[in-house]
This record gives sequence, structure tokens and C-alpha cells, in this order.
Amino acid sequence: MPKKKLAVYTATGCAACENTILDIHYDLGSLTRSADIVFWPYVLGSQWDGLNEQGPVDVCFFAGAIRTEADRIAAVRLRSNSKLMVACGACAAFGGLPSLTDLHPETPENRPEHLDEGNEFLLPKLESRVFALEHIVDVDYFVPGCPPTRDFLWAAIQSLVYMGDSPTRISFTASRLPMALAESITSGIVPPRGSVFAGEKAVCASCSRIKEEKKFRGFYRPYEIDPDSGRCLLEQGILCQGLATREGCGGLCTAVGAACRGCFGKAEAVFDPGAKMVSAVSSTFDSTEASEIEGLTKTFVDLAGTFYRYTLATQCALRTPNAEEAKHAPDNS
Amino acid sequence: MTRFEPKIIAFLCNWCSYVAADAAGVSRFVQKPNVRVIRVFCSGMVDPSYVIKAFASGADGVLVAGCHPGDCHYLAGNIKALRRSFLLRKLLSELGVEEKRFRLEWIAASESPLYAKLMNEMIEDVRNLGPCMPSSQKPLKGVA
Ligand code: SF4
Ligand code: SF4
Ligand code: SF4
Ligand code: FES
Repeated sequence: MPKKKLAVYTATGCAACENTILDIHYDLGSLTRSADIVFWPYVLGSQWDGLNEQGPVDVCFFAGAIRTEADRIAAVRLRSNSKLMVACGACAAFGGLPSLTDLHPETPENRPEHLDEGNEFLLPKLESRVFALEHIVDVDYFVPGCPPTRDFLWAAIQSLVYMGDSPTRISFTASRLPMALAESITSGIVPPRGSVFAGEKAVCASCSRIKEEKKFRGFYRPYEIDPDSGRCLLEQGILCQGLATREGCGGLCTAVGAACRGCFGKAEAVFDPGAKMVSAVSSTFDSTEASEIEGLTKTFVDLAGTFYRYTLATQCALRTPNAEEAKHAPDNS
Repeated sequence: MTRFEPKIIAFLCNWCSYVAADAAGVSRFVQKPNVRVIRVFCSGMVDPSYVIKAFASGADGVLVAGCHPGDCHYLAGNIKALRRSFLLRKLLSELGVEEKRFRLEWIAASESPLYAKLMNEMIEDVRNLGPCMPSSQKPLKGVA
């Protein structure tokens, strides 16, 4: 098998997605035997000029959201150079944390300078809003998570890079993937385009906490409460988003007492994570009095920033960009 | 310039508000043609995602109407609707959908004049607010 060529890049993000690639430990050694990472600025210091000399890339792992003009240019360039484009992590897949900046948009007063007096380049121009990778270019596969868990990332690498000639078998991860995806990976067939390397159901399905009768008497921010171990966090008044979120992590956060914030994006059956959470949370309010319910509601802060923490750009039904917006490069000089 | 004609989606409970709306038509109360009625079995089945989907699909206002508390055909569906309405309104307003665009009302089968009055009132409120564009372009309010 000729060696495959890989590219790894982060646009507006934090580079922890790229660290997850390093996090495959010893498997990194076996990966480099069958693939060359030809473009990886973060680790190899690769330059854009070098990309063309490398010829076409087989798989590009693209992390980070599209927030600046530079991000857009990088996405378009890497797409046109790559056979397969993988949106890696919540930022690339859904807009991720950077899309929360749309809750506090740029105004003429708070706008940073893009050029200094000598017309020297300072900052790349901002897009009109934050986009996910799929708004700008075609995306072949998605690996959600902030950052993705190593198992799913390794599953994606194995199925897309090795295409079945995998040196190891991936029984653990395969058992957590939807059946069709797992079967195609283990039998060496490239999974259907658009596949998401994660589960289908909600995080609650794999969370080990016990759900009892749901009664909500008050809402707590994480620092205000030391949750009981073993009991569902939502029932203790902590906004846990496990029931609106795609499964796959196995309840990483809830296992250690932190609420799920939805970094895998919405579960397959959910229309809008915010709507789902409004319905789930309010159905646990232990009151039938309008004034009392209203009082309870007032204790909640930043619903949009909580329910769409990782997904504002793509999964908030009221914020989906139209094709026009995504097409246009920024002209905010 | 032509006047802005808002589109209002009304989720009406089969057992009360829908009957009232029907009766309002039969008794020829003056009603403006801005309302699209969706008949549901109970106000309690109007999930927040229906409301968000209505706005996302271009509605300028959404009304959910059910039986008065205590009168729900399914005992407490309307209380469920009431419980959700506060958090939903809060989320909507953070996403740039003004409070007056979403209303929850109790309208009994016999209250057709009330239905006509509320509807006309809501149409005017929403007309004054202008088209609802929770579009990506519009700056969000978020929290300060
Ligand atoms: S998805 Fe998370 S880990 Fe990956 S770049 Fe974005 S913020 Fe960083
Ligand atoms: S709501 Fe959260 S804590 Fe409760 S079962 Fe679901 S994931 Fe676990
Ligand atoms: S529990 Fe939720 S926030 Fe935590 S890793 Fe899993 S999906 Fe992400
Ligand atoms: S039946 Fe009318 S609100 Fe439940």
C-alpha cells in the first residue's frame, strides 16, 4: 500500500484537537508507518507554500471554526487539496466555543483594528458571523467532541487512512459506534459520506448516574453545589445536557460530577438542543403556580450560552445561516 | 410602502381554543387574515421545539392556547405548557425573539370574542415589532 498523505490544521480553535491526534500514543508509530503527515503547522511548522509541492492530500483533519478571513482561505485551500475532509472537533463540526462570540457581536466601538496607520496587517478580517466548516466547504466526515475522544479519532483514522488494512482491530470503539458505521469500519469499507464518528442516542443512555423521580426545586451553578455521587445531576438542580447530547464519550464529565455541556452536539433524534433542554428542565419544576415557576426561571443565567455551548453556529434552529451568508467572504475593512 | 403583514402560527387546543376560534368564525367576528391555525390535542403537547421550529420557518409570532387551568381534558397538560413557557420565553429572548412574539393564553370554548380580541391584539403587537428575523445576521442579545 503506498503511503497515504495527511494534513492537520486548526482554524479558530485551541489546538487540543491536534493534541488528541498525538494522544493515540504508540499507535502514532504505526500510523507514521503507513502515512506521511505532510502538512501540520502546529507540530511540524509546515508552511502553506509547501502544501502545493506535496501534491494531493488523502485525508485532511480540519479542526477549528471559521471566524476570520484567514480561516476561510485555509478551509478552501485544504479542501481543494484533499480527497477527504474531516471536521475534527466541536469547533469545526458545529462552530464550537468560538461561535459563542456571536452572542456578543462586534460593534464599531469594540471592534479591533485590522490595519494600523502604516496599513500594516494586524488581524485577519472577521467573518460576518462564526461558521462551521460545512458552511464553507463540503465535509466528508465528522468527529465531534471538544476535543474528540482518542477512541473515536483513532477509529476515524483507521477507517479513513487505512481503509481496512488496519494493523489493529478496534473492538472497543466499534461497540460504541452505530451498527452500520461499526460494520463498515471493521470490514474495511469506507463509511458512508457524512458519517459522524460517535453514537446515536443520548449521553444519558451511557451515563452511570441513577435517574429517579425528577423534581427541580432550584437551579445551581457548578460552584454552588457539591453533587451527590451516583444520582442524576439534572435531578439535583444542575443543568446537565446529557439528554440532548449525542452519546459516545460514555459520560466522561458526568462520571466526575460535572454536568454534560453537549460537546458531541445534539443527539440524532433531537431537533434543537435548546428546545429539548427547555422542555426537560421545566418538566421537572416542582410547582404549578405561575409566579413560583417564574421565580424559578429567573434563577437561570445564560440559557443560549449553556444550551448551545458548542453548537450555536449549526444546531440552534434560529441561527442556521442561509447559503448566501456562507458564500460571501467578509468585506468589513 | 405596503404594510407589513405578520404571520402568526396559533397552536390551538382541540377541546377549547380551537372551538372558540371556530365559533369566532361562525359568529363573524372581525378577524385579520394573518393567523395560521394548527389544531393540537392539548396545549401540553406543544413541545418547545414546535415553537422554535415555527419561528425558524418564518413565523413572526406564535400563540399557544389551551383550556383554563383545571379544565384541561387531560387533567394538567395546560400546566405543563405553563411550566415550559417561562424558560422558553427567556431562551427565545436571548436568541433575539422579542417577548411579545410568543404568547400562552387560556381560551375556553365559549370565549370566542376573547379569541378574536387576543388574536387581533397580537397581530398588532407583532406588526409593530416588524418581521421576526432571528437570522444569523442579526446581533444576538445574549446576557450582559
Ligand atoms: S473542538 Fe475544543 S479542543 Fe477542538 S479546537 Fe475547538 S475548542 Fe479546541
Ligand atoms: S441528565 Fe446528566 S447526570 Fe442525569 S442521567 Fe443524563 S447525563 Fe447522567
Ligand atoms: S459528558 Fe457531554 S460535555 Fe462531557 S465529554 Fe461527554 S458529550 Fe462532551
Ligand atoms: S385539553 Fe385543552 S389544554 Fe389540555
